[in-house]
Amino acid sequence: MHSDKEEEPTDVRRRGGESIERRYRDPEKEARREREKLRERERRDADKQDRYTERKKEGSQDRRGDKEKDRRDERDREKKRERDRLVDESKYGDDDRENRDRRRDREEKHERERDKERHRDREDRDRERRREERDREHRSERERRRHEVIEEGREEKVEKYYREKRDRHPERERHKNSRGDERNDKEIQERHGDRKHSEQREEREYKEEHRKSKEERERRHKERGHHDEKRKNGSESRERRDSKEPGEEVRRHRGDRERADKERRHREEDEGERKHKERRHREEDEGERKHKERRHREEDEGERKHKERRHREEEKDAEKKHRDQRHKEEEDIVRNHQDRTHPKKSSSDKSQRPERTTVETEVVNEHLPDQEYEDDFEDYEEDFEEMDESANEGEDEKEPEAGEEREELTPQRRKEIEAIQRAMDEENERVGTAQSRESVGREEEDGLKWSKASEKNQSRASQRGKFIDFVAAKKREVSKKVATKQQKRSTELLRLIDLDFSMTFSHLDLLPVNEYDMYIRSFGTANTKQAYVQWNEDNADRDIQTEEIETCETWTQHPPEHNGACGDANLPQEARNKTMSELNFDSQRLTSFLRSASQVMVVLLEEDQAERKSLRKLETQTDALSFSDGSLQLNTKLSFLYGRQVSLVHFSRVQRHTMMSVHMATTEPSAVRLDSCTMICIWNIWEPSRPQKILVYESEVQCCCFSPGKATLVFAGTSVGSVVLWDLREPASDHHRLKIGEDEWTFRQPTFSTDAVMAGSGHLSSVTSVEVVPSAVAGGLRAEVPLLASEEESSGLSFQLASLDESGVLNFWVVVELPKGNEAGSPTDLGLRPGGKVKLLHSSSLLTAERVSPRDAVKTRPLQTLILRFLPTDSNHFFIGTNMGLVNHGTSHGLKAPPKCYSFQEVGVRPVDVNSIHFSPFRQHLFLVGCGNGSIRLHAFSHEQPVAEWRDATGGEAVVSLQWAQTRPTVFCVLDAASNLHIWDLLKNDTQPVATERMNADRVTAMAVFGDSGQQNTYSGIALAHESGKIEMQYFKRNFTASCSGEEEKLESMMTEAF
Amino acid sequence: MEQTDTYLIRPNHQHKFKPAIVKECVREIVRERLSGVQFDPDNVSQLTCSLADCVKDKVKNAGLDKYKLIVQVVIGEQRGQGVKISSRCSWDADTDNYAEEVYMNDSLFCVVAVFGSYYY
Repeated sequence: MHSDKEEEPTDVRRRGGESIERRYRDPEKEARREREKLRERERRDADKQDRYTERKKEGSQDRRGDKEKDRRDERDREKKRERDRLVDESKYGDDDRENRDRRRDREEKHERERDKERHRDREDRDRERRREERDREHRSERERRRHEVIEEGREEKVEKYYREKRDRHPERERHKNSRGDERNDKEIQERHGDRKHSEQREEREYKEEHRKSKEERERRHKERGHHDEKRKNGSESRERRDSKEPGEEVRRHRGDRERADKERRHREEDEGERKHKERRHREEDEGERKHKERRHREEDEGERKHKERRHREEEKDAEKKHRDQRHKEEEDIVRNHQDRTHPKKSSSDKSQRPERTTVETEVVNEHLPDQEYEDDFEDYEEDFEEMDESANEGEDEKEPEAGEEREELTPQRRKEIEAIQRAMDEENERVGTAQSRESVGREEEDGLKWSKASEKNQSRASQRGKFIDFVAAKKREVSKKVATKQQKRSTELLRLIDLDFSMTFSHLDLLPVNEYDMYIRSFGTANTKQAYVQWNEDNADRDIQTEEIETCETWTQHPPEHNGACGDANLPQEARNKTMSELNFDSQRLTSFLRSASQVMVVLLEEDQAERKSLRKLETQTDALSFSDGSLQLNTKLSFLYGRQVSLVHFSRVQRHTMMSVHMATTEPSAVRLDSCTMICIWNIWEPSRPQKILVYESEVQCCCFSPGKATLVFAGTSVGSVVLWDLREPASDHHRLKIGEDEWTFRQPTFSTDAVMAGSGHLSSVTSVEVVPSAVAGGLRAEVPLLASEEESSGLSFQLASLDESGVLNFWVVVELPKGNEAGSPTDLGLRPGGKVKLLHSSSLLTAERVSPRDAVKTRPLQTLILRFLPTDSNHFFIGTNMGLVNHGTSHGLKAPPKCYSFQEVGVRPVDVNSIHFSPFRQHLFLVGCGNGSIRLHAFSHEQPVAEWRDATGGEAVVSLQWAQTRPTVFCVLDAASNLHIWDLLKNDTQPVATERMNADRVTAMAVFGDSGQQNTYSGIALAHESGKIEMQYFKRNFTASCSGEEEKLESMMTEAF
Repeated sequence: MEQTDTYLIRPNHQHKFKPAIVKECVREIVRERLSGVQFDPDNVSQLTCSLADCVKDKVKNAGLDKYKLIVQVVIGEQRGQGVKISSRCSWDADTDNYAEEVYMNDSLFCVVAVFGSYYY
């Protein structure tokens, strides 16, 4: 930290420096003055006088001048120097300052060499000298009054009369000085000719010489005065000090000796002087010029007393000196010479001084050639101190000569000296500490206001480390003053100023670098080289480039909500909607597709499996059955079907692969408690391994049929006179499940039953036949297989059902599908199973038996209506087979259409049951009628008489079932009660069946023909239900399946022949 | 003699310690003296002193007659260490102020803070 504090010392130095300068100016000025006298006396004399007087009258300058004068006067008194010098001083101020600076440096060196004692000694000596000088003057003048005048002049220099007095001798002085200077100049030039500071040194030489001359004078006085008494003491003390610093010995010796002589007086005088000075300082500081004079006078009086005493002493001293002089003559010629001149008046003294100085210098040169240079410096220092110790250096040079006298100092004197030294040491220490404070304080004061004298003293002391008693005291005084002033200032200021704590200024906050960065910074570049890194902008010819990235926005959502499962933000909204609708459509189609496709797949698998299983059997059976191309057995070996005889087998007219078999109740007890129930199994013939659905009803089912279109509904007429229906779409969970063995079976109860619900409108006898009333549309589109559920639903379930009971009551029912099932059961539709959605509404009822003539009825048993069929192309016409061998023709509404009935060829009514009626799928106005006497008739819609009649076609056995083949118009199958299966092919033989199979081993109880004349897969066959409950699917051979030309023509020709 | 002393307890505006101006002075000096200088532990104390003197002289000439200046120069080597330098003053916030400048190069950092305390 470098602070401006430096500044303060600097300032102190500067200001102190000023004071020093001022202080030092005097000696230098004196030196200059002397030189000046040489150079300029002639031209300046008049001016100087004028200038001086002018300046004297000016305030501050005057003051300074006074102080300077104070000091100067001491010397002036001896030298009778001209007042002119003051003027010179102002002219040379600048030069002096430079010189002073240089000198200061040198002084510092010297200071180190000297110890305090010596300083003190010297100071003491100075004072002694001054006093002696004064004494000398007194002595020479011998006039009390005049002496006082001189004293006052020395103190104040303000008194004009003193100046005037001095002015009286300017010429003399000048003359004297010029003489001395001339000589000195030569010497100096010889010594320092080539040195840089020759000028200064010349000046110094001058001063030296002055001082030397003074000192010599003084010394001679002293020697003269005290030579005998004190020589011994001085020598002892000197010897002691000699051991410390031999180099300076000489000077000190002399000082000691002198001091020994005059210490007492010195002290008195020092104190007096100090007081004066202090007083003066104060006065000057405060600028109280007016009071000065008064005080001066007082001081002067004080001094005067001192001086008087001193005079007295000095007078004695003078006598002694005179004596000494004589002694010394032997020792030192030069001194003797001076001594001799000394008693003269001051005026004569001065005139002689130059001479003396010259001599002394020469002596010094002879004795101390080595010390010359050093002495010079010392001289300079002393020049600055001239006021106090102007004579010091000069004396120093005389020391070698004075060596003998030192030994004469007495031990008592020595003690005294030591005591004084101690006292002075203490005082100096005090001053030293005070001074440092002062220096700071002083800086802040206006330097100019300070008494120059005090400043000089203080700064000199601080500069040189020499401490002078009165100076120290003065300093203390000053410092006290300064302190109080400072105090006052600070208190006044502090009232006006608020000091506060600033924020904490954060100058720098450097975070530590983390290790990695540090590492990279110091080593990261050691072994690596940065390769090119470049991004697209300036395609520099290096190979790192990036290509444009194509982006597109798509989104996906699972599960799909509102807008679908995924999308593209860029597509327009319509497109998205379109996609969505397509998507929905697709999903619906997919569902239905999967539903059907799964069935297909299962069928295919079953088929495959069944084929493999029955392959061998097929062989044998082929042998057994002449018409068979192969057979397939449905798996009826189920526990719940065990022992049940199959009473009916029925195929859906639309879904030709869907077949149902009615298993009658069995008397044999089985594991399943459904023995008393009739079971209806819905089969898919391609999936023979198991029935699709199992329907259960409590009483015997006499007849059954599928719903038109898709086989979703099953209708049945029961022996108890009820019509029941099953909705195959109902979920399996709604029905009773039974686990039999490993498989779980669902036994479906009827969705709707007319049992006891519609007693009034229902059947009172057992229902012999239920038949769906074909709609025109349905008939027209029959070939079309409505595979899709949507189509089926769109076509709706609205159709009519007709049921015929034995008594000839024909009931029409409307099948209604409810939009929503009621799980809790319907309060109004009592026949509806809870959760069921399809019900029957009674539409109309017809009594068909009344038309039987009473004559016929008498002849025979009461008419029984056994079978009901509708004309496929027109639902208005129905055909009812009776037990009289006739087929009655009726219409459900509108006019009756002829023929009334269809009878045998020979007229007459015979009690023959009509067991089977079947319309040809190709020529829908043709139908076959099988009778209980074994005769088979082929009727046309329009004629009562049959087209053809084959009696004993079955060998007299009753015809159980008779059906046209589905693929060939001229082929039909007949099953008789003797379990003979006759296959007719009218094209080949219109008189007898082409094939007859007798199956005696296991009687065939029911039969149904199936087949599909589809383009790609034409097949046809016959399902044979055996007594044992076995159901066999016999596929016709090719010749019974593939249609050939001329079949329909054959039928036409037969009709033509018959009518 | 006991006339009432008058004190100028506020500087004129143009003589006020203006951190921006001082900062500019300092910046110039610091840039000039430290650019490209490597940290040298032997010379840095001398450098610091001379820098402080230099700054002081320059700022003194900037018309801050009634201010006492304290120039603090800290030069440290940059070796990744964390450094925190802060200062606090008890002063008259109306008149006194400070300016700071931080200079950094690869091898050293230098913080110069100039505090101006008004001399009433």
